[in-house]
Amino acid sequence: MKLKRLFKRLVLLFLGIFVFGYNAKAQIITLKGKVSDEKGLSIPGASVKIKGTRKGTITNSEGIFTIDSNGPVILSVSAIGYTAKEVKVSNISNVNIILEEDNKTLSEVVVTALGIKRDKKVLTYSSQEIKGTDLVQGKDPNLVNDIAGKVSGVQITSSSGSPGSSTRIVVRGASSFYGNNDALMVVDGIPIDNSETGNLNSGPGSSRVADIDPSIIENINVLKGAAATALYGSLGANGVIIITTKTGSANKKPTINFTSDFSFENPLLPQIQSKYAQGTNGIYYNGDDQKTSTSWGPLMDTLKINGQPAKKYNQSDLFFKTGHTYNNVFSVNGGGAASNYYISYSNFNQQGTVPNTKFLRNSVFAKYSAQILPNLTTTFQLNYTNSQNDRLPEGYALESPVWTIFTAPISYNLLPYENADGTQRLYRYSRNNPYWVLDNISNKSGVNRFLPTFTADYKPLTWLTVTERFGADVYTEQDRYHESAESVSNPTGRIVVNNTNFRQFNNDLLISANHQFGDFNIDGVIGNNIYSQYSETAYANGVGLSVADLDNISSASTVTFIENQYNTRRIGFYAQSNIEYKKFLILSLTGRYDGSSVLSTAHNFYPYGSVATSFIFSEFFSKEFQDIMNLGKFRISYATIGGSNVVPYSLTTPYLTQSKDNIIRNISFPYNGQAGFLLSPTLGNPNLKNERINEFEAGFETGFFNNRISLEASYFAKKTTDGLIPGVSIAPSTGYDGTTVNTGIMQNRGIELLLNVVPVKTKDFTWNMTINYSRIRNKVLAIDGDLQQIGNGFTTIIVGQPYGTIYGTRYARTAQGQLRIDASGLPYADADQGVIGNINPDWTGGIANNIRYKQFNFSFFFDVKKGGDIQNNVDGYGYFYGTPKVTENRGLRVVPGVSDATGQANTVAVDGQAYYQRINGVTESVIQDGTYIKLRNVSVGYTVKPSWLRGSPFKAVNFSVTGRNLWIYAPHFTGGDPEVSSFGSSNGSQGIYSFSVPTSRSIDFSMKLTL
Amino acid sequence: MKKISMILMSCILISVSGCKKYIDVNTNPNQPLDVAEAQILAPVEVAISSKLYAGNVAVIVQEYMQVAALNQVAPNAGTYLMYNTDMNDDWRTLYVNCLNNLVTLNAKAVADGKTNYAGIAKILTAYCLGTGTDLWGDIPYSQAFKGTANFTPVYDTQKDIYTTIQSLLDAGIADIAKNGIISPGGDDFFYAGDMSKWTKLAYTLKARYYMHLTKAPGYTAATQAQLALTALQNGMQSNDDDFKMAYGGAAGAENPWQQNFISASTIVMASTAVNGFKTRNDPRLTIMVAPALATSLYTGLDQGLSTIGQLEEYSRPGSFYGAAGASNYIVNYSEALFIKAEATLILSGFSSAQAIYQSAISSHMTKLGVSTANANTYIASRPLTNANAEQLIIEEKGIANFLSLENFTDFRRTGFPILPAVKNALSAIPRRVLYPQTEIISNPQPQQSAKLTDRVWWDAQ
Repeated sequence: MKLKRLFKRLVLLFLGIFVFGYNAKAQIITLKGKVSDEKGLSIPGASVKIKGTRKGTITNSEGIFTIDSNGPVILSVSAIGYTAKEVKVSNISNVNIILEEDNKTLSEVVVTALGIKRDKKVLTYSSQEIKGTDLVQGKDPNLVNDIAGKVSGVQITSSSGSPGSSTRIVVRGASSFYGNNDALMVVDGIPIDNSETGNLNSGPGSSRVADIDPSIIENINVLKGAAATALYGSLGANGVIIITTKTGSANKKPTINFTSDFSFENPLLPQIQSKYAQGTNGIYYNGDDQKTSTSWGPLMDTLKINGQPAKKYNQSDLFFKTGHTYNNVFSVNGGGAASNYYISYSNFNQQGTVPNTKFLRNSVFAKYSAQILPNLTTTFQLNYTNSQNDRLPEGYALESPVWTIFTAPISYNLLPYENADGTQRLYRYSRNNPYWVLDNISNKSGVNRFLPTFTADYKPLTWLTVTERFGADVYTEQDRYHESAESVSNPTGRIVVNNTNFRQFNNDLLISANHQFGDFNIDGVIGNNIYSQYSETAYANGVGLSVADLDNISSASTVTFIENQYNTRRIGFYAQSNIEYKKFLILSLTGRYDGSSVLSTAHNFYPYGSVATSFIFSEFFSKEFQDIMNLGKFRISYATIGGSNVVPYSLTTPYLTQSKDNIIRNISFPYNGQAGFLLSPTLGNPNLKNERINEFEAGFETGFFNNRISLEASYFAKKTTDGLIPGVSIAPSTGYDGTTVNTGIMQNRGIELLLNVVPVKTKDFTWNMTINYSRIRNKVLAIDGDLQQIGNGFTTIIVGQPYGTIYGTRYARTAQGQLRIDASGLPYADADQGVIGNINPDWTGGIANNIRYKQFNFSFFFDVKKGGDIQNNVDGYGYFYGTPKVTENRGLRVVPGVSDATGQANTVAVDGQAYYQRINGVTESVIQDGTYIKLRNVSVGYTVKPSWLRGSPFKAVNFSVTGRNLWIYAPHFTGGDPEVSSFGSSNGSQGIYSFSVPTSRSIDFSMKLTL
Repeated sequence: MKKISMILMSCILISVSGCKKYIDVNTNPNQPLDVAEAQILAPVEVAISSKLYAGNVAVIVQEYMQVAALNQVAPNAGTYLMYNTDMNDDWRTLYVNCLNNLVTLNAKAVADGKTNYAGIAKILTAYCLGTGTDLWGDIPYSQAFKGTANFTPVYDTQKDIYTTIQSLLDAGIADIAKNGIISPGGDDFFYAGDMSKWTKLAYTLKARYYMHLTKAPGYTAATQAQLALTALQNGMQSNDDDFKMAYGGAAGAENPWQQNFISASTIVMASTAVNGFKTRNDPRLTIMVAPALATSLYTGLDQGLSTIGQLEEYSRPGSFYGAAGASNYIVNYSEALFIKAEATLILSGFSSAQAIYQSAISSHMTKLGVSTANANTYIASRPLTNANAEQLIIEEKGIANFLSLENFTDFRRTGFPILPAVKNALSAIPRRVLYPQTEIISNPQPQQSAKLTDRVWWDAQ
């Protein structure tokens, strides 16, 4: 009904322009009009300009504008989120202008390498964009977590649920053996640091990208393949996350946005038994004068202590609390005729589910663009963040409180945590009481970070642009660790102070030209990049604390101090050209010549580049067929990239002071007045050259029914050769236990699919669905010479196996694969270790749905991981203690297998305790398939009708409720969340679930006001 | 337009010439590429005492010798469960921390003409090789420490290693005899640069390693005993000559054995060792063993139990060997006397050995502060006879060599002390340890398939 009316109006408007356009007279008339969207909703703040003049205005809160003209004019109308439009009008005094929402891939402009904006349609490689609004809906302070599951070809793994914890993001599989495989983060053309820092004991730290407030982001574009990232050179070898921040708009009155979020978080706990008391073989131990670490005691239900029924202590419920998060964002944006601005302040405060843990972030972002001269535009922006993170040791460290909570008997009251004499009270030995830890161990880090960026665009000629972009990433980080005396692991106490000064500078000077030659449109870019990174750390370790409760290193009786400075520099020259023939055939060439300070001087300059083409065959379709299939495109590319993923000073073998990482047990040098140096255990390699990543990519993109259905598919084959492997194990009999080699070979092959469907699209009701799917296969082809395997933290790199293979103790089996059973009726570990798992998923996918009905918005997002093994270390220890849920079944059983004694099927029955305590020694028993389906995000929103706000100061009011991790289906995994990697985001920390702070299920309430 | 390209071209030219220099920042500002001998000697000595003499494998050996016991459910190291990976750290200590630096120290000292440092480096190299070969048998030396030049050094036979040990000790003695002007001082935590004591140590070690071969194929006990006695003439002469490392005891300066027995490790003293003191009526009980915290009784833990006991109901080493400020007596005068006693027994019979045996016990008791009366009563209660001489000498040597790896060698060599079977033991008492996984992966050698119960070369049946 309404649609029809709208259509009529449109026809009338065009008729008016057409019929009356020629009769106009040169006289000043006041044009009055309204700008609205396809649904008929008015668009406030739209810019309306008369083409060819400087005259312009913006629409008011009802989308109404007035502008003086002297005859027929062409109005340029634009608004954020809509396709700009030019409308020819004459003296009609009531113009209705309808803008189309800018969600069409047809005219989607994306930001590519080096900040170059290009039409997605002509791109010759795969990239995927995430809008800022979708990002904010993720509700996580770390933007990487907000895109989890949404981008094909990208695997995101969070670490722990402790506030501010790190997250790993790997694009198209691991390319480097050691070092780092995380994608490069680029904010408005400037690479920023995303190191994992801040933890001085066991467990993850913080990913430094968490210093960026996701609400300032306009969109994120993920560049996946080497062809897309070639211009970033070595830094971009692992994929690039292009982050574009919000800007103000010219000729716009100040618009004020205020967003407030409040959320509750509850931990996702592993499955723990709640039936049996502390003890062994069914005999109760009270934990006070009878200590044991195990919960193989009697049934709680029938247990009487001093004649009274035993009291049950659900340790997790008692220990964890409901977490709270507040997030308030205040922003102002607008602009004058030749300038615009965007200012934002945000305050994020998360109090974790473990007492005394928090992440606090105060962030100010300001961006100002000005057109200084008609052909010179400059932008200056500054992001300042103060992040404060309080965390506790995690994993199986003796100081980790979660360790003891997950394994404590339910019959024991952990409180009080101290005996009368001030010593710790606990049901067992060798661990700290978790409540004692809360009061006596702390790990705090504070970061002050500045990200200034300056950009100047100078257009001396219409077809030539010179861009100068300078950016810096400067932060100081202060980390402190305090462990009181009386700790089980450090009986004299310990204080660590670690201060880091980090600065990274990046400068790009690039010249771009664009010219049409007949049927050819050619654009070219040449440029230069200078990059430097410097960091300096001062680390002090104090032991023998003399003053209780004084969190200051002056309390220590022995202090050792270490300072380190690292300097890395790179320089690059690059060129890119895109040749477009008749808008259907595109050839793209890039080349770069890089110099890197970390390589040997003989090999520190190296060239690389890419060649790519795309063919848009839908250009040849008839108009009628284009109504059905509006886009059809093939693309194919080949790129070779050089990487120098190795820390500085790897060329030589220095002497190391015997302190910190090289401490001789408990003794640090200087010791007894003597300085002490020993040869580095890592042998330098003076011949290091760059590693090389060669990637072939092919893909097609299709759009049907004006992009109501669009499908994008890519295949890639990527191979790392001359792979740099720092610290590769060598036989210690060489005098060293590691060196850096240049010989690794590894391949990744994969398929990525992205399907976007709009099943319903009417004025009142739209439904948008996006499905992504990725399947990546990795294989290690060579390490170094005959070397077949090297350790890599919790996984192992083995030739012929995927990167991320779990290697360890496995069951002894017969040739037919049955378990071998010893005389006591128990299975046992094979004398030889072997491959017992692969952490890489078979495939991953996600389904995002966004449904809007009138003023209501409903979205939900499932993500799926098929396969991918996890070592469940909580069960690994728990089998011994009798704490996992499965150990509730502890009766007699006959383990299926072949008896060594008889050679026949085993018939000897064993009890649960004997069985589980035996398989506790076999790592294979706790390798679990990490398959999951997760309802990651559900959100219901309501936008107040604009008509209701008439007369109020508000332009828009929106409320929403978002649930995260509301439902997880993980059929084989017995831990809390199959998505974690307990020890952080580094290459060596993957594939293990081990007593980290649990991730959370949360409900978030949000309100957004626009003034 | 032309102007612009001219400017651009010159910009690029300037930057190209400058960029080689711009990236020339790969000089390590944090770690030196060369240091003096003193800076290497000090940490190597600490590594030998705290890690090699008292590290992971040293604790495991004390479990084999039933001196230490792990308060954990079997199977564990105390019931002879071992994986190759369990030895990675100990092998690394030996090869990367100790030997590679000693070899480097020797080369540097020879080049610099610092003969005393060269002598010390050789003597310590011999000690480290001896420790390594007695644990592992064939080990790399002649092809080792070559870095990139040889990533897969073949292993020398144990026999060759023993030859090397003696020649290194001889060369070390010769270096010191050159009376070099420069001697170590505070950087020598063992002897503070007293070179005569280093020489005595070298002779004592020669005697020790001669005696190790009493039953080695192709060697005779008598020859080895004579060689040992000859060497001992220049060996240690008093408790003052002990090759020991003192620890201050403050935080960050604790004795490693105190660290091995902190409650987090759940290691306490084994019942065999504690009961031995009681059975012998040994006056050293209260000095060498601490009473259990909970009971004030001297109680050791049975090994191989299927349950976990009360940690505080078991004894730990007494303060003389187990306090934070205790010293490590790595090679001591009493051992020299016991070697002499055993060699004399072999060559001249038990009666000739009697007095030496008694002075050996006495030297240890004097060091521990046992009263002369108590010492004499004890010594009188344990006289040598023809039947028991070897057993008593080795038993008493083991007490004087408390916590030393040497006891494992003597046990394999002589069968003493007699050790009862451990509950839930996975095998007989081991006669060696496994090669580390790191070597198996990066440097496969035929010897690496050895099992715990396999014998090293000198341990002939």
